[in-house]
Amino acid sequence: MTFNEQELVRGCKQRNRIAQKQLYDVFGGKLFAICLRYTKNRADAEDVLQDAFIKIYENIDSFRADSPLEYWLRSVVVNTALNHLRQQKHLKELDDIDIHHNGIADKEFTLGNFQMQQLLELIRELPPGCQTIFNLYAIEGYQHNEIAEKLGISEGTSKSQYSRARMLLQQKLNKEKRFDDGSVRNKQF
Amino acid sequence: MMDPSGINNFEDQWRKALNEASEPPPPSVWQGIEARLEEDSERGLVLPLWWQSRKLWYAAASIAALLIVGAGVWFSGSDVNDQKINTIAANERGLRLKNDKQTSDAEKSSAVSPQKEERLAEGKVLENVGLVPKNTDEVATKGQTNPFKNSKEGVSIFEGGKNSFNKIDNDPDNLPSSVIRGEATRLQQIESMEQTITATLLASRPYSELDVHVQKRYVFFKPEVESENPTKLTGHKEYWAGLGLMPASFNPDLKVKEAPIGFANQTVSDKKSVSGSSEAGASYAVQTQGGMRISKHWSVELGVSYLKGNSDYQGGGYLLNANNSKSANVLENALAGLAPSSSPIATDKNYNFANTGSIYVDVSKKVSNNYQFLQLPVQAGFTINPDKKLSYSVLGGMMANFFLSNDLESASGEIITTTASDEIYRSMNWAATTGLRFNYKLSAKWKASLTGSYQKAISSGFKSNQSLDTHPYLYGVSWGVRYSF
Repeated sequence: MTFNEQELVRGCKQRNRIAQKQLYDVFGGKLFAICLRYTKNRADAEDVLQDAFIKIYENIDSFRADSPLEYWLRSVVVNTALNHLRQQKHLKELDDIDIHHNGIADKEFTLGNFQMQQLLELIRELPPGCQTIFNLYAIEGYQHNEIAEKLGISEGTSKSQYSRARMLLQQKLNKEKRFDDGSVRNKQF
Repeated sequence: MMDPSGINNFEDQWRKALNEASEPPPPSVWQGIEARLEEDSERGLVLPLWWQSRKLWYAAASIAALLIVGAGVWFSGSDVNDQKINTIAANERGLRLKNDKQTSDAEKSSAVSPQKEERLAEGKVLENVGLVPKNTDEVATKGQTNPFKNSKEGVSIFEGGKNSFNKIDNDPDNLPSSVIRGEATRLQQIESMEQTITATLLASRPYSELDVHVQKRYVFFKPEVESENPTKLTGHKEYWAGLGLMPASFNPDLKVKEAPIGFANQTVSDKKSVSGSSEAGASYAVQTQGGMRISKHWSVELGVSYLKGNSDYQGGGYLLNANNSKSANVLENALAGLAPSSSPIATDKNYNFANTGSIYVDVSKKVSNNYQFLQLPVQAGFTINPDKKLSYSVLGGMMANFFLSNDLESASGEIITTTASDEIYRSMNWAATTGLRFNYKLSAKWKASLTGSYQKAISSGFKSNQSLDTHPYLYGVSWGVRYSF
């Protein structure tokens, strides 16, 4: 943790509004991108970010400097997003589906031609359960048993939902490539 | 073929692409956070952390230091006063005072004891702060004219006016009677002065704020926060202006409640004249509106619209004047009854048929009855999915309809125009309005909308409702665009 982060954390622990704003300014962008990944629209993402920062400020005393601040902030945001999805009942029925990974994605797979916003949009187009599990496994790096525990589902369901997400994404990527002919499309979302 | 390096691994690629992704959130998010933090702090969630503030510790230490110093000054001051009182009392009880020669300034300085120095200092302080009454100078002056020396106790009287001391001998035999009298007077004055000083000091204790609780000092921290980050609760505020065209079905719901004067003369016409009814006609409204979004879902909007309300009236028959062949349908005759006698409508369509020379013709002829209104709607809206591409708003409110004109086709085909100045129709009539709107986001600023509206007047459109009654209502579908600021 850098010196500035230490100062920020200390200020936030003292409920100093300037420090709170600085923390928001420094990490708000990255955390908002996470919120966008887990939700279906910007309004929901804004709600999640707002709730997450309130939690961050209220629980900053529990943060210990032995772990990176950003890691802690990201975990708060992810948990807030999952709570939000639970409230929206998007995680209510996650069934085990019979989809087998065909291995196509591992063949010289690259996302180099896609912009970040395009990729975000692709993730947001996934079915809610697939979207969440893909985020947790592929981006956040959780294992399937951890995801199963977090979401209250079986490990098999997590794996099958992830396979489905991966297959759908692969199809979408192929489609995008076909339509765009390799060019970068600036997609507004 | 699998990528042996793992660089092109599916998850790694995604993680690499999105792990550092950043998207600036809109300003409304921070405004919302700040508003919620303010609510929390108002509920006192921050108070338990007062001990974490270094500033508060400084403030507490400063107050404590002031208290200690102040208490020292206060107690030392009261000691000196007590000593003075004791000294004077002892002198009064019989210390032998004697006259002595006035010593030089040097001797005075050398004769000053530590106690005298304290009293000297106190005398100066008292004078400086204005606590010493004016008669102190008198006391000092009197003492100066009768210099004393208290050689045994080593007590001297401070001559405040000139920074000099007069020594007093304890031998009363050597003291002239005038000196003793002067001393007695002086003792009284000093005693009264001591009381004044004591009372004054008690009354003006600078540390009367001792009961200021440390938590009170927390208050000075708060304005700092407010001044640097003024709270804004206007996270979703947005303004827009819109334009629309509404094809509509307008029905004035006009009813002849009782036979007009020309129709009342005959039994048939009396009955038939109230049997007519209005039919809605193709109408339209041109609408402009301005709105404000006051929260995520709620909005208010105002507007100005022009409504051309066309309709037909059928039934009631008409009268034909046998003498001059003029005719008047039931509406014309009824309107003439409502119009002031000076109105041309009244003279043409009322008095000519009020005699028995008119014939009632029971022909159900459809006559057009067209209105023009200026409308000022005020509506509240609740929007579902406000930030999505397609959103839905439920609207409700009131509308002021300002009557502009009415064109009524006469039985003979002529048009009779009634305006607000004819004082037949109410110049302003309230209507309730409700609607459902579909908004489609064309871009960040532009939206297209489709609004289904229903309007219904809540009072009669006529000033006098003796024989005629109208409660216009309207169904319309408005097509519009709006621009957000």
